[in-house]
Amino acid sequence: MKKKGLLVLFAGILMTLGLAGCGAKEKLKIYLPGEYMSDDLVPDFEKKYGVKVDVELFDSNEMMYTKVMAGDNYDVLIPSDYMIERLIKEDYLQKLDTSKISNYGKIVSDIRKAPYNGYDPAGEYSVPYFWGTVGIVYNEKNVPSSEVEEKGFGIMKDTKYAGKIYMYDSERDSFMIAFKDLGYSMNTNNEDEINAAYDWLVELNTTMDPTTVTDEVIDGMAQGRKDLAIVYSGDAAYILSENEDMRYYTPSYGTNVWVDAMVIPKNASNPELAYKFIDYVISYDAAMGNTEAVGYASVNSDVLNEVTKEGGLYDGNEAYVPRTGYDKDEVFTDNEFLRKKLSELWIKVKASK
Amino acid sequence: MKKKNRTGSYIFLGLIMIFLYAPIVYTIVFSFNEGKSLTKFSGFSLKWYGKMFANNTMMEALFYTIACALLATAISTLVGTVTAIGLSKSKKVLKNVVEQVNQLPIMNPEIVTAIGLLMLFSAAHIEKGFFTMVLAHIMFCIPYVILSVMPKLRTLNPNLAEAAMDLGATPVQALTKVIVPQCMPGIISGALIAFTMSFDDFVISYFVTGNGVSNISILVYTESRRVNPSINALSTLIVVIITVSLILVNVIPALAARKNRKTAGVAE
Amino acid sequence: MKQFRKMVYPYLIWSTVMIAVPMLLILLYAFTVGGNSVSKFMFSFANFKRFLTDKTFLVVLYRSLRIAVETTVVCVLLGYPTAYIIAKFTEKVKMRWVLLITLPTWINMLVRTYAWTGILQDDGVINSILSFFGAGPITFMYTDFAVILGMVYNFLPFMVIQIYTSLTKMDYSLIEAACDLGANPRKCFTKVTLPLSMPGVISGITLVFLPSVSSFCIPRMLGGGSYVMVGTIIESQFLTAGDWNFGSAISLIMAIIIMISMYITKKVDKGEKLEGAQV
Repeated sequence: MKKKGLLVLFAGILMTLGLAGCGAKEKLKIYLPGEYMSDDLVPDFEKKYGVKVDVELFDSNEMMYTKVMAGDNYDVLIPSDYMIERLIKEDYLQKLDTSKISNYGKIVSDIRKAPYNGYDPAGEYSVPYFWGTVGIVYNEKNVPSSEVEEKGFGIMKDTKYAGKIYMYDSERDSFMIAFKDLGYSMNTNNEDEINAAYDWLVELNTTMDPTTVTDEVIDGMAQGRKDLAIVYSGDAAYILSENEDMRYYTPSYGTNVWVDAMVIPKNASNPELAYKFIDYVISYDAAMGNTEAVGYASVNSDVLNEVTKEGGLYDGNEAYVPRTGYDKDEVFTDNEFLRKKLSELWIKVKASK
Repeated sequence: MKKKNRTGSYIFLGLIMIFLYAPIVYTIVFSFNEGKSLTKFSGFSLKWYGKMFANNTMMEALFYTIACALLATAISTLVGTVTAIGLSKSKKVLKNVVEQVNQLPIMNPEIVTAIGLLMLFSAAHIEKGFFTMVLAHIMFCIPYVILSVMPKLRTLNPNLAEAAMDLGATPVQALTKVIVPQCMPGIISGALIAFTMSFDDFVISYFVTGNGVSNISILVYTESRRVNPSINALSTLIVVIITVSLILVNVIPALAARKNRKTAGVAE
Repeated sequence: MKQFRKMVYPYLIWSTVMIAVPMLLILLYAFTVGGNSVSKFMFSFANFKRFLTDKTFLVVLYRSLRIAVETTVVCVLLGYPTAYIIAKFTEKVKMRWVLLITLPTWINMLVRTYAWTGILQDDGVINSILSFFGAGPITFMYTDFAVILGMVYNFLPFMVIQIYTSLTKMDYSLIEAACDLGANPRKCFTKVTLPLSMPGVISGITLVFLPSVSSFCIPRMLGGGSYVMVGTIIESQFLTAGDWNFGSAISLIMAIIIMISMYITKKVDKGEKLEGAQV
């Protein structure tokens, strides 16, 4: 009696597995960060082309890299700039044929210029997905704008605001603000500069009682739990739209600008469909839905104009459109020495509390 | 005196229950929240349920989690019980070796096991996905099953099976009719632990899965940093599924037992 | 009974492939330097030296052990009475309580931990209640308290079930005999019940201490990103720094420390039993 039950259960599982596995539909496998795509985008694409899309989410670029390195195959990846540079260097990516992407001409031209294009200068391997900056979100009621503009990232070390700040838990972003505040390049190889940035962060960590989180900062600032935070522009755009006391500022002495882009790995099993997907993502309707849902700046120039024009969704939202024309703004470059160094130092910074 | 003790006991148990259930109730309440906040309830709404059911990734993760847990529990309980019985009759040396090897996945930090398996699957060129996830889950579940069956076996009279065979039972019969029923509580608790471990697992699954296959834990980890109340809806759904199936698991055998007892009573 | 022995063989093969080989791979990585390629094999202690000579890493190790010990102690203190009370109920009632204790563990651990972030937040439920009475707000989130609470919350059921199992396995006639012989309830408990249930406590400790010491998602969610524990370091070595060799070495160090502490726990247990026997 019991055995029969077990058998039936087994058969049931195997059957459902079989059913799930054996669709005749063409398949596309994409790998992207969590909460980084409108819920409707994939279902709409599936409907339009009669295909099945497997979506896998990663927590960090490094997590994605580990899997790609271990031989997992995907058709489309959406990593950040410095990681794309690394993947190009290590020969994981296909060169793209942009003639297969009909909406390619719609991409905002600024993304194809310095500093944004540093990771893939000729645009041979990647099609931009979202782009943005890193800056300070502050509560205007408690922190005067003039002070933020005067001090830049240095305001994160003003003990007046001790216990009132969020730091972003990423060695790259945290060291970036230290490097920039000290006037260095964030892609430095100079040990003295790295140590100076380390001291800068240790001082911050020991005197400011920061709360170091990642995406939790979004709800935290939207609810007004703290006064200052280091935030990516797209998340800042969301925070500003939720809480009108919040403002966004990117220091004039330079900050990190970035591009997340779509790439096709060499071992992709369905590159043709991957092209269709990439083309679809940057098409007007899909890009519009995506930027509305996620809050990051669209790479489609028509969409960008539409949402920032008077009465548009992001009209007057200073965090939405990434800035251009600041010559000290940089993208991260892939640098193994710095990567290992920062990863170890960041743990030490955090343990110093 | 005794009564006082009882009241104290009930108060203590009550507090423990509040501790264990408050977050779950909280999750359920906020799954009906109109707004996006996790701390402020702004009104009743079912919209997060709509979003959850429309979300392919979530539905697939739910399916994979349940399928993986059932498969891993069934296989590891079977293999674990068989191995434990075999071990109880084996020489001490072999017993020690297996027990020591079993300690490894239990003693090891999950992340170490995860990386070890990741390297193994990579080295063997096995494509990562549902299959590797089930393999990994079976791997870390079996030791727990063995651990919970062994103590029961130790309390058994070693001559029990032999006696049964002397009375004409085949070895298989001795196994299924005498030994297995005797250590059933151990097997059940082993299966329960296995299911729980598999259902809850995050670290190992995170490393060994791939190709679009993820379970609920991975989904929550990658999506929960941002406020996404669909996750509350999903967990409410899980609470409902689990509660219903647990009630079935517990009520059906109880009913069957009552029936058996009645028929037995009639026979007497 | 020899025919039953063969039943071990399938698992022997399985455990060699799935348990032993991965461990050997980790050993290999821990004692080599120079990237993730096995081909350029270079035996070295450099990874271990790097960890053990750096004060920061040792402080982190100490913190992980302290948090895990505190979690385990709290679990025993809460879990033992719970199991004891449940074990004394009648058979039917028992099963119901066991079900109630285990039910939460069936619900995803990360989900349940996530719920606490809402409860403990500066503007969360607890602080709302406190402010209603004119007290607070108290910062719970991103503190030791929150991390230990999260771990106790997640691992307590394991402790309760282990102790409960050993209590119900116990021969109650023994206890009755002891109590009939005039031992007062307290003596009856400390001399008979407690020693007999020790195996349950020990395996409960195993099931709580191990995941606590290496956990990285609970500290991450409730302790915030700056809450560094050994698990976090290992994770970052594998995922961010990409230094599998160093990561493997740290895991080995942690595994060894865990095994030593487990060995001591078991020794203490045996010692107590001997003492009990003498009395």
